[in-house]
Amino acid sequence: MLKSWKLKEVVLLSVFAVVFAVVYLLFVHVGNIWAGVIGPIAYEWMFGIWFIVSIISAYIIRKPGAALLSETMAAIIEVMIGNAVGPRLILSGIVQGLGAEAAFAATGYKRYDWWVLCLAGIGSAVFSFAYGFFVSGYAALDPSLLAWMFTLRVISGAVIAGLGGKYLSDGLLASGALRGYAISQDSIKHRQVKGEILE
Amino acid sequence: MPIKMWLHDMNPSMKFIVVIVSMLTLAWFFNPWTPFLFFIGIILFQAVFSQLNWRLWGLLMIPIAFTAIGYLWTTIVFAADTSGEILFSWNGWTVTDQQWETSLSLAFRVFAFSAMSFMFALTTDPVKFVMSLMQQLRLSPKLAYGVMVGYQFLPVVKEEFTQIRHSHRLRGIGAEKQKWKRIVGIKRLVIPLLSSAVRRAERAAFAMEARGFTGEKREVFYEPISLNIRDGLLSVLLLILLIGCCLAGWRLS
Repeated sequence: MLKSWKLKEVVLLSVFAVVFAVVYLLFVHVGNIWAGVIGPIAYEWMFGIWFIVSIISAYIIRKPGAALLSETMAAIIEVMIGNAVGPRLILSGIVQGLGAEAAFAATGYKRYDWWVLCLAGIGSAVFSFAYGFFVSGYAALDPSLLAWMFTLRVISGAVIAGLGGKYLSDGLLASGALRGYAISQDSIKHRQVKGEILE
Repeated sequence: MPIKMWLHDMNPSMKFIVVIVSMLTLAWFFNPWTPFLFFIGIILFQAVFSQLNWRLWGLLMIPIAFTAIGYLWTTIVFAADTSGEILFSWNGWTVTDQQWETSLSLAFRVFAFSAMSFMFALTTDPVKFVMSLMQQLRLSPKLAYGVMVGYQFLPVVKEEFTQIRHSHRLRGIGAEKQKWKRIVGIKRLVIPLLSSAVRRAERAAFAMEARGFTGEKREVFYEPISLNIRDGLLSVLLLILLIGCCLAGWRLS
Protein backbone atom coordinates (compact mmCIF):
# COMPACT_ATOMS: atom_id res chain seq x y z
CA MET A 1 0.00 0.00 0.00
CA LEU A 2 2.85 2.39 0.84
CA LYS A 3 4.80 1.72 -2.38
CA SER A 4 3.08 4.48 -4.32
CA TRP A 5 3.45 7.00 -1.49
CA LYS A 6 6.05 9.73 -1.60
CA LEU A 7 7.90 10.36 1.64
CA LYS A 8 6.61 13.91 1.77
CA GLU A 9 3.05 12.62 1.73
CA VAL A 10 3.77 10.28 4.64
CA VAL A 11 5.39 13.11 6.61
CA LEU A 12 2.44 15.37 5.76
CA LEU A 13 0.11 12.75 7.22
CA SER A 14 2.10 12.60 10.41
CA VAL A 15 2.24 16.36 10.81
CA PHE A 16 -1.53 16.55 10.36
CA ALA A 17 -1.77 13.69 12.82
CA VAL A 18 0.17 15.72 15.40
CA VAL A 19 -1.94 18.84 15.04
CA PHE A 20 -5.16 16.86 15.28
CA ALA A 21 -3.91 14.53 18.00
CA VAL A 22 -3.61 17.60 20.22
CA VAL A 23 -7.09 18.76 19.20
CA TYR A 24 -8.50 15.27 19.80
CA LEU A 25 -7.02 15.05 23.28
CA LEU A 26 -8.41 18.45 24.20
CA PHE A 27 -11.85 17.24 23.22
CA VAL A 28 -11.44 13.99 25.14
CA HIS A 29 -11.04 16.16 28.26
CA VAL A 30 -14.08 18.24 27.37
CA GLY A 31 -16.01 15.02 26.74
CA ASN A 32 -14.92 13.39 30.00
CA ILE A 33 -16.18 16.24 32.11
CA TRP A 34 -19.46 16.39 30.20
CA ALA A 35 -19.83 12.63 30.45
CA GLY A 36 -19.94 12.90 34.24
CA VAL A 37 -23.01 15.09 33.96
CA ILE A 38 -25.00 13.61 31.10
CA GLY A 39 -23.45 10.16 30.59
CA PRO A 40 -21.87 8.66 27.47
CA ILE A 41 -24.24 10.61 25.21
CA ALA A 42 -22.00 13.62 25.94
CA TYR A 43 -19.48 12.48 23.36
CA GLU A 44 -21.97 11.91 20.59
CA TRP A 45 -22.71 15.38 19.27
CA MET A 46 -19.01 16.17 18.89
CA PHE A 47 -17.86 12.75 17.76
CA GLY A 48 -17.22 14.08 14.25
CA ILE A 49 -14.19 15.99 15.51
CA TRP A 50 -12.39 12.71 16.05
CA PHE A 51 -12.86 11.68 12.40
CA ILE A 52 -11.72 14.90 10.80
CA VAL A 53 -8.08 14.03 10.12
CA SER A 54 -8.94 11.10 7.86
CA ILE A 55 -11.26 13.22 5.76
CA ILE A 56 -8.77 16.08 5.43
CA SER A 57 -5.89 13.77 4.51
CA ALA A 58 -7.87 11.71 2.02
CA TYR A 59 -9.24 14.89 0.43
CA ILE A 60 -5.75 16.37 0.06
CA ILE A 61 -3.61 13.35 -0.79
CA ARG A 62 -6.24 11.30 -2.67
CA LYS A 63 -4.52 7.93 -2.43
CA PRO A 64 -5.81 4.63 -1.11
CA GLY A 65 -5.01 4.34 2.58
CA ALA A 66 -4.82 8.05 3.36
CA ALA A 67 -7.88 7.99 5.60
CA LEU A 68 -6.87 4.84 7.47
CA LEU A 69 -3.20 5.75 7.93
CA SER A 70 -3.79 9.32 9.08
CA GLU A 71 -6.31 8.29 11.73
CA THR A 72 -4.01 5.47 12.90
CA MET A 73 -1.03 7.82 13.06
CA ALA A 74 -3.04 10.37 15.02
CA ALA A 75 -3.96 7.63 17.46
CA ILE A 76 -0.33 6.48 17.83
CA ILE A 77 0.73 10.07 18.51
CA GLU A 78 -2.08 10.45 21.04
CA VAL A 79 -0.69 7.38 22.81
CA MET A 80 2.84 8.83 22.62
CA ILE A 81 1.70 12.08 24.19
CA GLY A 82 0.09 10.01 26.93
CA ASN A 83 -3.59 10.03 27.84
CA ALA A 84 -6.22 8.38 29.94
CA VAL A 85 -7.81 6.35 27.17
CA GLY A 86 -4.55 4.54 26.61
CA PRO A 87 -3.25 2.18 23.94
CA ARG A 88 -6.73 1.07 22.95
CA LEU A 89 -7.03 4.44 21.18
CA ILE A 90 -4.92 2.91 18.43
CA LEU A 91 -7.57 0.27 17.92
CA SER A 92 -10.39 2.81 17.79
CA GLY A 93 -8.29 4.96 15.44
CA ILE A 94 -7.92 2.03 13.07
CA VAL A 95 -11.65 1.30 13.23
CA GLN A 96 -12.60 4.94 12.53
CA GLY A 97 -10.06 5.17 9.73
CA LEU A 98 -11.44 2.01 8.14
CA GLY A 99 -14.94 3.51 8.22
CA ALA A 100 -13.84 6.60 6.29
CA GLU A 101 -11.65 4.51 4.00
CA ALA A 102 -14.65 2.32 3.11
CA ALA A 103 -16.54 5.34 1.77
CA PHE A 104 -13.61 6.47 -0.39
CA ALA A 105 -13.02 2.92 -1.61
CA ALA A 106 -16.70 2.61 -2.55
CA THR A 107 -16.28 5.55 -4.91
CA GLY A 108 -13.09 4.02 -6.34
CA TYR A 109 -10.91 6.84 -4.94
CA LYS A 110 -12.09 8.97 -7.88
CA ARG A 111 -14.63 11.36 -6.40
CA TYR A 112 -13.95 13.82 -3.64
CA ASP A 113 -17.12 15.91 -3.71
CA TRP A 114 -18.70 17.20 -0.54
CA TRP A 115 -21.16 14.31 -0.36
CA VAL A 116 -18.38 11.73 -0.54
CA LEU A 117 -16.66 13.47 2.36
CA CYS A 118 -19.91 13.43 4.33
CA LEU A 119 -20.29 9.76 3.48
CA ALA A 120 -16.78 9.14 4.82
CA GLY A 121 -17.73 10.91 8.05
CA ILE A 122 -20.83 8.73 8.30
CA GLY A 123 -18.71 5.65 7.59
CA SER A 124 -16.44 6.50 10.51
CA ALA A 125 -19.48 7.11 12.70
CA VAL A 126 -21.05 3.75 11.88
CA PHE A 127 -17.81 1.80 12.33
CA SER A 128 -16.93 3.52 15.59
CA PHE A 129 -20.44 2.97 16.93
CA ALA A 130 -20.21 -0.74 16.21
CA TYR A 131 -16.86 -0.81 18.00
CA GLY A 132 -18.20 1.22 20.94
CA PHE A 133 -21.20 -1.11 21.14
CA PHE A 134 -18.79 -3.89 21.96
CA VAL A 135 -16.09 -2.18 24.00
CA SER A 136 -18.12 0.32 26.02
CA GLY A 137 -20.94 -2.14 26.67
CA TYR A 138 -23.71 -0.20 24.89
CA ALA A 139 -25.56 -3.52 24.76
CA ALA A 140 -26.64 -2.82 28.35
CA LEU A 141 -28.40 0.40 27.35
CA ASP A 142 -31.98 1.00 26.29
CA PRO A 143 -32.47 0.71 22.47
CA SER A 144 -34.20 4.10 22.24
CA LEU A 145 -31.25 5.85 23.90
CA LEU A 146 -28.93 3.92 21.58
CA ALA A 147 -30.94 5.12 18.57
CA TRP A 148 -30.47 8.71 19.75
CA MET A 149 -26.76 8.23 20.28
CA PHE A 150 -26.37 6.66 16.85
CA THR A 151 -28.30 9.42 15.06
CA LEU A 152 -26.34 12.16 16.82
CA ARG A 153 -23.07 10.48 15.97
CA VAL A 154 -23.94 10.04 12.29
CA ILE A 155 -25.02 13.68 11.97
CA SER A 156 -21.90 14.82 13.78
CA GLY A 157 -19.74 12.66 11.50
CA ALA A 158 -21.33 14.08 8.37
CA VAL A 159 -21.37 17.72 9.47
CA ILE A 160 -18.29 18.22 11.65
CA ALA A 161 -15.97 15.71 9.96
CA GLY A 162 -17.34 15.84 6.39
CA LEU A 163 -18.29 19.47 5.86
CA GLY A 164 -15.89 20.82 8.50
CA GLY A 165 -13.02 18.86 6.96
CA LYS A 166 -13.83 20.21 3.50
CA TYR A 167 -14.09 23.76 4.86
CA LEU A 168 -10.66 23.55 6.52
CA SER A 169 -8.98 21.84 3.55
CA ASP A 170 -10.35 24.41 1.09
CA GLY A 171 -9.04 27.18 3.33
CA LEU A 172 -5.67 25.48 3.38
CA LEU A 173 -5.72 25.10 -0.39
CA ALA A 174 -6.40 28.81 -0.79
CA SER A 175 -3.31 29.58 1.32
CA GLY A 176 -1.19 27.99 -1.42
CA ALA A 177 0.59 25.56 0.88
CA LEU A 178 -0.76 22.49 -0.89
CA ARG A 179 0.96 22.98 -4.22
CA GLY A 180 2.41 19.64 -5.20
CA TYR A 181 -0.38 17.55 -3.66
CA ALA A 182 -3.21 15.87 -5.52
CA ILE A 183 -5.84 18.32 -4.35
CA SER A 184 -4.28 21.34 -6.07
CA GLN A 185 -3.74 19.50 -9.36
CA ASP A 186 -7.40 18.70 -9.38
CA SER A 187 -8.39 22.28 -8.68
CA ILE A 188 -6.10 23.52 -11.48
CA LYS A 189 -8.04 21.28 -13.86
CA HIS A 190 -11.29 22.78 -12.64
CA ARG A 191 -10.08 26.30 -13.16
CA GLN A 192 -8.83 25.56 -16.65
CA VAL A 193 -12.34 24.58 -17.57
CA LYS A 194 -13.53 27.95 -16.37
CA GLY A 195 -10.66 29.59 -18.27
CA GLU A 196 -8.85 31.17 -15.35
CA ILE A 197 -5.62 29.77 -14.01
CA LEU A 198 -4.50 31.49 -10.86
CA GLU A 199 -1.73 29.19 -9.63
CA MET B 1 17.57 -5.26 37.38
CA PRO B 2 15.54 -4.27 40.47
CA ILE B 3 12.03 -5.68 40.45
CA LYS B 4 10.60 -2.15 40.60
CA MET B 5 11.95 -1.47 37.11
CA TRP B 6 10.56 -4.55 35.40
CA LEU B 7 7.45 -2.95 33.99
CA HIS B 8 9.43 0.08 32.77
CA ASP B 9 11.81 -2.23 30.97
CA MET B 10 9.15 -4.48 29.45
CA ASN B 11 9.01 -4.65 25.67
CA PRO B 12 6.49 -1.96 24.61
CA SER B 13 4.88 -4.02 21.84
CA MET B 14 4.37 -6.91 24.22
CA LYS B 15 2.84 -4.59 26.79
CA PHE B 16 0.63 -3.10 24.10
CA ILE B 17 -0.64 -6.51 22.99
CA VAL B 18 -1.35 -7.63 26.57
CA VAL B 19 -3.31 -4.44 27.28
CA ILE B 20 -5.36 -4.81 24.08
CA VAL B 21 -6.07 -8.49 24.76
CA SER B 22 -7.16 -7.74 28.35
CA MET B 23 -9.43 -4.96 27.16
CA LEU B 24 -11.09 -7.07 24.48
CA THR B 25 -11.60 -9.85 27.00
CA LEU B 26 -13.09 -7.60 29.70
CA ALA B 27 -15.58 -6.24 27.16
CA TRP B 28 -17.45 -9.57 27.24
CA PHE B 29 -18.23 -9.38 30.98
CA PHE B 30 -21.25 -7.62 32.44
CA ASN B 31 -20.82 -8.63 36.09
CA PRO B 32 -19.36 -6.11 38.55
CA TRP B 33 -16.71 -8.43 40.00
CA THR B 34 -14.54 -9.07 36.95
CA PRO B 35 -13.65 -5.42 36.18
CA PHE B 36 -13.44 -4.55 39.89
CA LEU B 37 -11.00 -7.35 40.69
CA PHE B 38 -8.98 -6.60 37.59
CA PHE B 39 -8.75 -2.94 38.59
CA ILE B 40 -7.42 -3.90 42.03
CA GLY B 41 -5.11 -6.46 40.47
CA ILE B 42 -3.60 -3.92 38.07
CA ILE B 43 -2.96 -1.50 40.93
CA LEU B 44 -1.18 -4.21 42.93
CA PHE B 45 0.74 -5.26 39.85
CA GLN B 46 1.95 -1.71 39.37
CA ALA B 47 2.87 -1.39 43.04
CA VAL B 48 5.09 -4.46 42.79
CA PHE B 49 6.69 -4.07 39.38
CA SER B 50 6.96 -0.33 38.76
CA GLN B 51 8.06 2.90 40.34
CA LEU B 52 4.90 4.86 40.32
CA ASN B 53 4.15 8.43 41.24
CA TRP B 54 0.92 7.72 43.15
CA ARG B 55 0.10 11.40 43.53
CA LEU B 56 0.09 11.84 39.77
CA TRP B 57 -1.85 8.61 39.38
CA GLY B 58 -4.51 9.86 41.79
CA LEU B 59 -4.80 13.18 39.98
CA LEU B 60 -5.21 11.39 36.66
CA MET B 61 -7.95 9.22 38.12
CA ILE B 62 -10.18 12.17 39.08
CA PRO B 63 -11.66 12.83 35.61
CA ILE B 64 -12.01 9.07 35.15
CA ALA B 65 -14.20 8.96 38.25
CA PHE B 66 -16.47 11.56 36.61
CA THR B 67 -16.83 9.43 33.49
CA ALA B 68 -17.53 6.35 35.60
CA ILE B 69 -20.29 8.16 37.51
CA GLY B 70 -21.81 9.22 34.19
CA TYR B 71 -21.81 5.62 33.01
CA LEU B 72 -23.24 4.43 36.30
CA TRP B 73 -26.32 6.60 36.29
CA THR B 74 -26.95 6.41 32.53
CA THR B 75 -26.95 2.65 32.67
CA ILE B 76 -29.26 2.67 35.69
CA VAL B 77 -31.75 5.01 34.05
CA PHE B 78 -31.55 3.63 30.52
CA ALA B 79 -30.99 -0.04 31.19
CA ALA B 80 -31.97 -2.52 28.48
CA ASP B 81 -32.45 -5.38 30.93
CA THR B 82 -34.86 -4.51 33.76
CA SER B 83 -35.56 -8.02 34.99
CA GLY B 84 -34.74 -9.41 38.42
CA GLU B 85 -35.69 -8.43 41.94
CA ILE B 86 -36.48 -4.83 42.74
CA LEU B 87 -33.80 -3.36 44.98
CA PHE B 88 -35.44 -0.03 45.66
CA SER B 89 -38.02 2.25 44.11
CA TRP B 90 -38.51 5.98 44.28
CA ASN B 91 -41.28 8.10 42.74
CA GLY B 92 -42.18 5.38 40.29
CA TRP B 93 -38.55 4.65 39.38
CA THR B 94 -37.50 1.13 40.17
CA VAL B 95 -34.01 -0.30 40.18
CA THR B 96 -33.65 -4.05 39.94
CA ASP B 97 -30.62 -6.02 41.03
CA GLN B 98 -29.88 -6.90 37.40
CA GLN B 99 -29.85 -3.22 36.47
CA TRP B 100 -27.66 -2.33 39.42
CA GLU B 101 -25.11 -5.04 38.65
CA THR B 102 -24.78 -4.12 34.98
CA SER B 103 -24.37 -0.45 35.85
CA LEU B 104 -21.71 -1.17 38.45
CA SER B 105 -19.97 -3.40 35.95
CA LEU B 106 -19.80 -0.67 33.30
CA ALA B 107 -18.57 1.88 35.84
CA PHE B 108 -15.85 -0.49 37.06
CA ARG B 109 -14.99 -1.24 33.46
CA VAL B 110 -14.15 2.44 33.01
CA PHE B 111 -11.83 2.21 36.03
CA ALA B 112 -10.23 -1.05 34.89
CA PHE B 113 -9.58 0.26 31.38
CA SER B 114 -8.09 3.48 32.76
CA ALA B 115 -5.86 1.63 35.21
CA MET B 116 -4.49 -0.37 32.28
CA SER B 117 -3.97 2.80 30.26
CA PHE B 118 -2.08 4.47 33.09
CA MET B 119 -0.01 1.35 33.61
CA PHE B 120 0.99 1.59 29.96
CA ALA B 121 1.39 5.35 29.71
CA LEU B 122 3.34 5.84 32.94
CA THR B 123 5.87 3.10 32.26
CA THR B 124 6.48 3.39 28.52
CA ASP B 125 8.89 5.64 26.67
CA PRO B 126 7.00 6.95 23.59
CA VAL B 127 9.99 6.79 21.25
CA LYS B 128 10.81 3.24 22.29
CA PHE B 129 7.18 2.32 21.73
CA VAL B 130 7.28 3.34 18.07
CA MET B 131 10.71 1.75 17.58
CA SER B 132 9.35 -1.44 19.06
CA LEU B 133 6.26 -1.31 16.81
CA MET B 134 8.66 -1.15 13.88
CA GLN B 135 11.04 -3.85 15.13
CA GLN B 136 8.69 -6.39 16.68
CA LEU B 137 5.36 -5.74 14.96
CA ARG B 138 6.76 -4.96 11.49
CA LEU B 139 5.35 -1.46 11.18
CA SER B 140 6.71 0.03 7.95
CA PRO B 141 9.81 2.21 8.63
CA LYS B 142 8.31 4.90 6.40
CA LEU B 143 5.36 5.14 8.79
CA ALA B 144 7.39 4.69 11.95
CA TYR B 145 9.86 7.45 11.12
CA GLY B 146 6.99 9.56 9.79
CA VAL B 147 5.35 9.32 13.21
CA MET B 148 8.66 10.19 14.87
CA VAL B 149 8.99 13.33 12.73
CA GLY B 150 5.49 14.33 13.74
CA TYR B 151 6.24 13.70 17.40
CA GLN B 152 9.36 15.87 17.25
CA PHE B 153 7.23 18.64 15.75
CA LEU B 154 4.95 18.70 18.75
CA PRO B 155 6.76 21.48 20.69
CA VAL B 156 7.20 23.45 17.46
CA VAL B 157 3.49 23.30 16.72
CA LYS B 158 2.72 24.40 20.26
CA GLU B 159 5.07 27.37 19.99
CA GLU B 160 3.62 28.35 16.63
CA PHE B 161 0.12 28.21 18.08
CA THR B 162 0.97 30.74 20.80
CA GLN B 163 2.73 32.94 18.24
CA ILE B 164 -0.33 33.04 16.02
CA ARG B 165 -2.51 33.81 19.04
CA HIS B 166 -0.22 36.65 20.06
CA SER B 167 -0.11 38.19 16.61
CA HIS B 168 -3.91 38.02 16.44
CA ARG B 169 -4.13 39.78 19.80
CA LEU B 170 -1.77 42.50 18.59
CA ARG B 171 -4.18 43.26 15.78
CA GLY B 172 -7.14 43.08 18.09
CA ILE B 173 -8.65 39.88 16.68
CA GLY B 174 -9.87 36.97 18.73
CA ALA B 175 -11.44 38.80 21.63
CA GLU B 176 -15.04 38.42 20.50
CA LYS B 177 -17.62 38.08 23.20
CA GLN B 178 -20.06 35.85 21.32
CA LYS B 179 -19.41 32.12 21.41
CA TRP B 180 -20.42 31.44 17.80
CA LYS B 181 -18.04 34.10 16.50
CA ARG B 182 -15.23 32.44 18.39
CA ILE B 183 -16.11 29.06 16.89
CA VAL B 184 -16.06 30.51 13.37
CA GLY B 185 -12.76 32.16 14.30
CA ILE B 186 -11.14 28.76 14.80
CA LYS B 187 -10.42 28.79 11.07
CA ARG B 188 -8.18 31.85 11.53
CA LEU B 189 -6.07 29.85 13.97
CA VAL B 190 -6.07 26.47 12.27
CA ILE B 191 -5.32 27.49 8.67
CA PRO B 192 -2.00 29.27 9.38
CA LEU B 193 -1.05 26.49 11.78
CA LEU B 194 -1.74 23.78 9.22
CA SER B 195 -0.18 25.62 6.30
CA SER B 196 3.09 26.14 8.11
CA ALA B 197 2.91 22.51 9.24
CA VAL B 198 2.56 21.47 5.59
CA ARG B 199 5.61 23.47 4.58
CA ARG B 200 7.60 22.08 7.49
CA ALA B 201 6.58 18.53 6.55
CA GLU B 202 7.84 19.09 3.03
CA ARG B 203 11.19 20.38 4.24
CA ALA B 204 11.58 17.51 6.69
CA ALA B 205 10.80 14.95 3.98
CA PHE B 206 13.39 16.48 1.63
CA ALA B 207 15.96 16.49 4.41
CA MET B 208 15.28 12.83 5.19
CA GLU B 209 15.65 11.86 1.54
CA ALA B 210 18.80 13.94 1.18
CA ARG B 211 20.31 11.92 4.03
CA GLY B 212 19.55 8.66 2.28
CA PHE B 213 16.31 7.59 3.99
CA THR B 214 14.41 5.34 1.61
CA GLY B 215 11.90 3.75 3.96
CA GLU B 216 12.90 0.21 3.02
CA LYS B 217 12.34 -2.67 5.40
CA ARG B 218 15.46 -3.49 7.36
CA GLU B 219 16.83 -6.16 9.64
CA VAL B 220 19.51 -4.29 11.58
CA PHE B 221 18.69 -1.35 13.79
CA TYR B 222 20.80 1.31 15.45
CA GLU B 223 18.96 0.88 18.75
CA PRO B 224 17.54 -2.61 18.99
CA ILE B 225 14.60 -3.06 21.39
CA SER B 226 15.05 -6.35 23.19
CA LEU B 227 12.49 -9.06 23.79
CA ASN B 228 13.45 -11.44 26.59
CA ILE B 229 12.23 -13.96 29.15
CA ARG B 230 11.13 -11.27 31.60
CA ASP B 231 8.68 -9.84 29.05
CA GLY B 232 7.16 -13.29 28.69
CA LEU B 233 6.95 -13.71 32.47
CA LEU B 234 5.18 -10.37 33.00
CA SER B 235 2.75 -11.08 30.15
CA VAL B 236 1.93 -14.50 31.56
CA LEU B 237 1.36 -12.98 35.02
CA LEU B 238 -1.00 -10.37 33.59
CA LEU B 239 -2.87 -12.98 31.58
CA ILE B 240 -3.22 -15.18 34.71
CA LEU B 241 -4.64 -12.16 36.52
CA LEU B 242 -7.06 -11.60 33.64
CA ILE B 243 -8.24 -15.22 33.52
CA GLY B 244 -8.48 -15.32 37.32
CA CYS B 245 -10.71 -12.23 37.35
CA CYS B 246 -12.92 -13.65 34.61
CA LEU B 247 -13.38 -16.93 36.50
CA ALA B 248 -13.92 -15.18 39.84
CA GLY B 249 -16.51 -12.85 38.33
CA TRP B 250 -18.29 -15.78 36.76
CA ARG B 251 -18.36 -17.71 40.07
CA LEU B 252 -19.36 -14.75 42.24
CA SER B 253 -22.35 -13.59 40.20
